[in-house]
Amino acid sequence: MKGLMTPQLIRITEIYDDGEASRHFTFEPVTGISHPASPGQFFTLAIPGHGEAAFTYLSLPDVRGQFKALIRRAGTLTSALFQRSRGDLIGFRGPFGNCWPLDQLQGKRVLILAGGIGLPPLAAVADHLSADDKTPVGLIYGSRSPADQVLQHERSAWHKCMPILETFDHPSNGKQLIGTPLDHISQMTAKLGGAPEAILTCGPEVMMSAAGRHFAANGLPPENIWLALERRMHCGVGECGHCYLGSSYVCTDGPIYSWQQLARLQSQTTA
Amino acid sequence: MKRFLLDRIDRLRDHLASQRPLFTPQGNDGSAELNWLPLTRETPPTATGRPRLPTCPAKQFFFPEREILFRFDGNDFKETLPKPTPQILFGVRSCDLCAIAYQDRFFQQDPYYQARRRATLLVGIDCQIPCDGGFCPTVDAGPFVRDGMADLVCHQQQDEGWLLMAQSAEGEALLRGLDLKAAETSRIDQRTRAQQQVIARFPPATHIETGIQRINRAEVPAGQWQALGLQCLACSGCTSLCPTCSCFTSYDRPAADGFERERCWDSCLYDAFQREASGHNPSATAGQRVERFWFHKFSDEYAKTFGRYGCTGCGRCEKTCPGVIGVHSVMKSISAAP
Repeated sequence: MKGLMTPQLIRITEIYDDGEASRHFTFEPVTGISHPASPGQFFTLAIPGHGEAAFTYLSLPDVRGQFKALIRRAGTLTSALFQRSRGDLIGFRGPFGNCWPLDQLQGKRVLILAGGIGLPPLAAVADHLSADDKTPVGLIYGSRSPADQVLQHERSAWHKCMPILETFDHPSNGKQLIGTPLDHISQMTAKLGGAPEAILTCGPEVMMSAAGRHFAANGLPPENIWLALERRMHCGVGECGHCYLGSSYVCTDGPIYSWQQLARLQSQTTA
Repeated sequence: MKRFLLDRIDRLRDHLASQRPLFTPQGNDGSAELNWLPLTRETPPTATGRPRLPTCPAKQFFFPEREILFRFDGNDFKETLPKPTPQILFGVRSCDLCAIAYQDRFFQQDPYYQARRRATLLVGIDCQIPCDGGFCPTVDAGPFVRDGMADLVCHQQQDEGWLLMAQSAEGEALLRGLDLKAAETSRIDQRTRAQQQVIARFPPATHIETGIQRINRAEVPAGQWQALGLQCLACSGCTSLCPTCSCFTSYDRPAADGFERERCWDSCLYDAFQREASGHNPSATAGQRVERFWFHKFSDEYAKTFGRYGCTGCGRCEKTCPGVIGVHSVMKSISAAP
């Protein structure tokens, strides 16, 4: 049994391009032992000589432990990862963090708001909710441009079972919706058959904060608005200190926070 | 807990050193600065009178500035747990013992820290006079050693000799062969009274008390944190010398047969501490980072988890900070704010 800090080997079993500078990876543990995870949790990937970084589960580990991730090339580790090929072995630790509040979503009208590369952390919960007939769910997905969109395959599947609006800062034709996801709430409300009773959001922090303020101001209880936050998570076990958010560590107390929790943490400091 | 009377503290020191490697604060080659060094024949007698803290706290013994976490040998990742030799730290002051207890809790699940910590026996000494810049009574961290924070505790008595208290079975076992007389119960009452007298000699610390209140009420204006931030040189002096600071970063470095992952002390005062690969930085200003440091030291939120503040009143940050924003300067500034 390896300690919490030491990676175990996983194999890359599939890779394909999916959006601007983004790739879809499938991994499988070399041991064949599955480490169960919940929607919203994260893991780390390590490439010897290039360090380690945190990523979200796009799909949860199956019985063989196989799971997926959508990864955008952004820094040292991801640049090295994009040099790897199918069959290569790399390091893995996880799962870490908390998950989306699945129990509290049951039976509610749920609106998922995603911005840019914030869609992958919402994918596993979207899969989960779309399989539940009693929980109506809709998705608004905002991107800079059509070329920046990710998860084409997953979105095609969701289109069959939930209303989806796709919005763009820079649409490529006149038929596409222009603006941010928040500009199209009323259209989605009509499709959902009523105002959303729970919000799940992930994307740029300015977008998530705007969503939190909007729905809280419109009477949605702040404990029903949920955000997946990003911080620089090194260790995943609440030790290294990098991912602090007020008195909490995003790697162990998060990455999912309610608007109510976030407001409390943000009120602890002033600068 | 067993109590004994001890004639000379260095009789205990020598006795313990005959059983295990022993480290104690002392000047290096006649330097006035104290460091944790192994006991040798040249080590001066244990100092009494006004206490002076070693420049560095004892955290380096359990959470070293650099350590290897695992190796990658080209085929697999191999955990590299330390195999420490049993050792004794002699003459640890109450503030530093409280910090060790704090980190014991923080690193509860960390096998690297725990391996080193379990191999170490702590011998504490009560401070009989306030040290320069220290304010341990204000944060409940001294001046006398708290129960259960050391294996052995030495208290210099007002009349004669020392009261020696064994607070763990391991500590007591190491006393075998010393031929000590049991101490009367009244000695404990005398020690309690003596602590009250020492506490009364500390200078007032109302700026610390008011500062703690203002931090917890989030009353310090953002502009004041930004002004204090201008004085931060991001040198990491405070975080390196703070006995409870524990942030670290890790990176891979080439080794003989592959790579090894090393972790080393990091500092929340560094500009890039929270910067993400995207460039987004949640604590982009020095003011935010300075506030973070003091929030972490004095927030009631952490006190709830750890049973005490993250500051043990040692005053090292004030002595080391080249920007004059150590604990006294900052707390004076924010307690005087409108």
